[in-house]
Amino acid sequence: MTSHSANSTHTQVSSHQDKDRAQNFASDFSFKKHVAYFKRSLSMLPYNYTETDTSRMTLAFFCLSGLELLGVLDEEISAADKQDYVDWIYAQQILPDTADPSLNELHCGFRGSSWPGRPFEPNATHTTYQSYDSGNLANTYSALANLILLGDDLSRVNRDAIVNTMRHLQQKDGSFVPTYGSMESDLRFVYAACIISYILNDWRGVDIPKAVDYIRRTQTYEFGIAQSPGEEAHGGSTFCGIAALALTGKFDEGLVSRKDTIYWILSRQLDGFQGRSNKPSDTCYSFWLGGALEILDSFQFVNSECNRGFLMTTQTMYGGFAKWPDCPPDLLHSYMGIASLSLMHEPGLREVDPKVNISKRAVEYLKTQTVFWRGGPVPLK
Amino acid sequence: MADAFVPYNKRPEWQDITPIPQDDGPNPLVLIAYSSDYTDAMNYFRAISSKNELSERALDLTTQIIGMNPAHYTIWNYRQNLLLALNKDLHAELEFIDELSKERSKNYQVWYVASAVNPDFRATHYISPTITRHHRQVVVERLNDSSRELPFIAYILEEDSKNYHAWSYRQWVITRFDLWSGELPYLDELLIIDVRNNSAWNHRYFVVFEGPTKPTQEFLEKEIEFTKGKIRLAPNNQSSWNYLKGILARSPNPTTADDILASFCAELRDSEIVSSHLLASLVDVSEARAKRGDKTSLNQGVKVGRGGMIGYTGSPRLLYDAWLFMRCFETCLIFMPPVNTRLATTWQRSTTRSVKNTGCIASRTC
Repeated sequence: MTSHSANSTHTQVSSHQDKDRAQNFASDFSFKKHVAYFKRSLSMLPYNYTETDTSRMTLAFFCLSGLELLGVLDEEISAADKQDYVDWIYAQQILPDTADPSLNELHCGFRGSSWPGRPFEPNATHTTYQSYDSGNLANTYSALANLILLGDDLSRVNRDAIVNTMRHLQQKDGSFVPTYGSMESDLRFVYAACIISYILNDWRGVDIPKAVDYIRRTQTYEFGIAQSPGEEAHGGSTFCGIAALALTGKFDEGLVSRKDTIYWILSRQLDGFQGRSNKPSDTCYSFWLGGALEILDSFQFVNSECNRGFLMTTQTMYGGFAKWPDCPPDLLHSYMGIASLSLMHEPGLREVDPKVNISKRAVEYLKTQTVFWRGGPVPLK
Repeated sequence: MADAFVPYNKRPEWQDITPIPQDDGPNPLVLIAYSSDYTDAMNYFRAISSKNELSERALDLTTQIIGMNPAHYTIWNYRQNLLLALNKDLHAELEFIDELSKERSKNYQVWYVASAVNPDFRATHYISPTITRHHRQVVVERLNDSSRELPFIAYILEEDSKNYHAWSYRQWVITRFDLWSGELPYLDELLIIDVRNNSAWNHRYFVVFEGPTKPTQEFLEKEIEFTKGKIRLAPNNQSSWNYLKGILARSPNPTTADDILASFCAELRDSEIVSSHLLASLVDVSEARAKRGDKTSLNQGVKVGRGGMIGYTGSPRLLYDAWLFMRCFETCLIFMPPVNTRLATTWQRSTTRSVKNTGCIASRTC
């Protein structure tokens, strides 16, 4: 089943159209170098990415979603490779334990890579409990997004198990932790929980009023959104909060002042965007804040020329984008650079749907070709 | 650390363990070219963590791996369990974290300005600090001893005065150990060093409003005067403007708050101050007053809108304001005036007044 869906992915766009698209790129945009950068990262990263050992799933997302926005995902990755990648992703799924399903109840979802040393089993239906082996909300989100991008129909995802685990990850204050027992409860994982629920078309794992209340309490006197209540308004958490409200459809309940939040975001534009008041521009905020503005239907107030001009200074000669001008590229900023240009309708790029953070084409695929959407939403009790 | 690395299969005390290699399948996504030291240590980590071995050698192994990958949250989690199970001296652990954090804080400063060929290049500086911070929190909570914490945080902030994790941790420390009293003097100092340090302003707001005692009216008046002084010093500093508006918004009497802001804006305008935040504040005051039914400021002449201007009857003073406003656009300090029909339409929709008397809709000047 998955093999079939991987082969038939996104067939509506032919490679001819992709080539035409490539030729349409502006001369200062290093299209080919970016494609090469993502492709080479997809197969091997240098040792200085060792710190991402537990987040490889997310790095894979940057590569796959980057190639998708560049319009070349189907052309550059063969059906056979897609199938292998889909299998690798499924091999990272933590499922209920064979003998006692309650053993993994707190740990279902996807881990970020194969680091715990489990045998490679992409078609498993159960996972024997092992201490310290657990799924993680951020990686579960990345895994699901990757499966969509690779044309899988999500049929091997154990939705009930993920949803059940998520219930244990939400805290009393409405926030989420990424893994059971972690102390990192903040807005990043509220967004992760919401996007997972959206992709699974199932909101039983999130107490929405509590999550929305938490988002409301993270808005500061500046009207930007902080990572946790009391902290400083920040571009990344502002994206998480706004996108989570868009996914839950709760703007009225969740925003203290929509107008003032838009003002705060717009005031972050220098040439590109800064993430906080009085910080320098940084590539990723062109997406975090640009995306938030698009969701709030206010992207037209952005000075796109200035924004694009800044991004052209962080585009590197190796392909990819850096955080700041004259710095080396990294995958996060490379993806964010491309996604920012997509928001500004850079010729040749596919359009991104900011709240889901994948192309509109992939969102369409999610809604029409994956098992959880074909069956309709799971009713909330 | 790497120089002295002895492979684990050469270490006598590890001979009873069969290492477990990573199984990535035939064609994995984003392989990392791990160093052989890291692979070796992880092979042994896999073997002992899956059995939850609680031993001295396990603790040493976590020390070694954290040196190579401080972002590995599971290894920190395992380490916490080991420290407690082995009843280790947590003060020594605090020293370990101190060294690690200080080294990383310095690296953070160094690596990004280095070239791509610099071996210290770190691809993911944004992952590890939050994990280290939470580990520290666990240790300090258990020790129930805060004596090292504020000096440690101050050290990190000296390296990087806007370090998000450090400020977040500081909030936890002062709340948990009731250390509020030294905060305002500390912040006074930081704002003398850098009046644009928004993290310090945010922390000030936290201290004033989240502290154990509710701020008195007298205290807030002093705080308003303090902030006005900082704005006079740097009228284009959004941090202090936002803080001022933040305090005023907590005022029990909105009309008085508007009056305070309006008269302060008038003072700055009379001293020929050029500041987009000043103009934005004038707009805010006009809007707030109009909402309460006081239309005088709107009928006066020009409503200076964010992102453009809309003329009503025209007063030289306010036209001057609008011109200043345009100057700010040129420097891209704030967002842009209408540039296309979609925007013009949005603009008309979003204004409460008809735009037919519009003097102009400003053109793009960036």
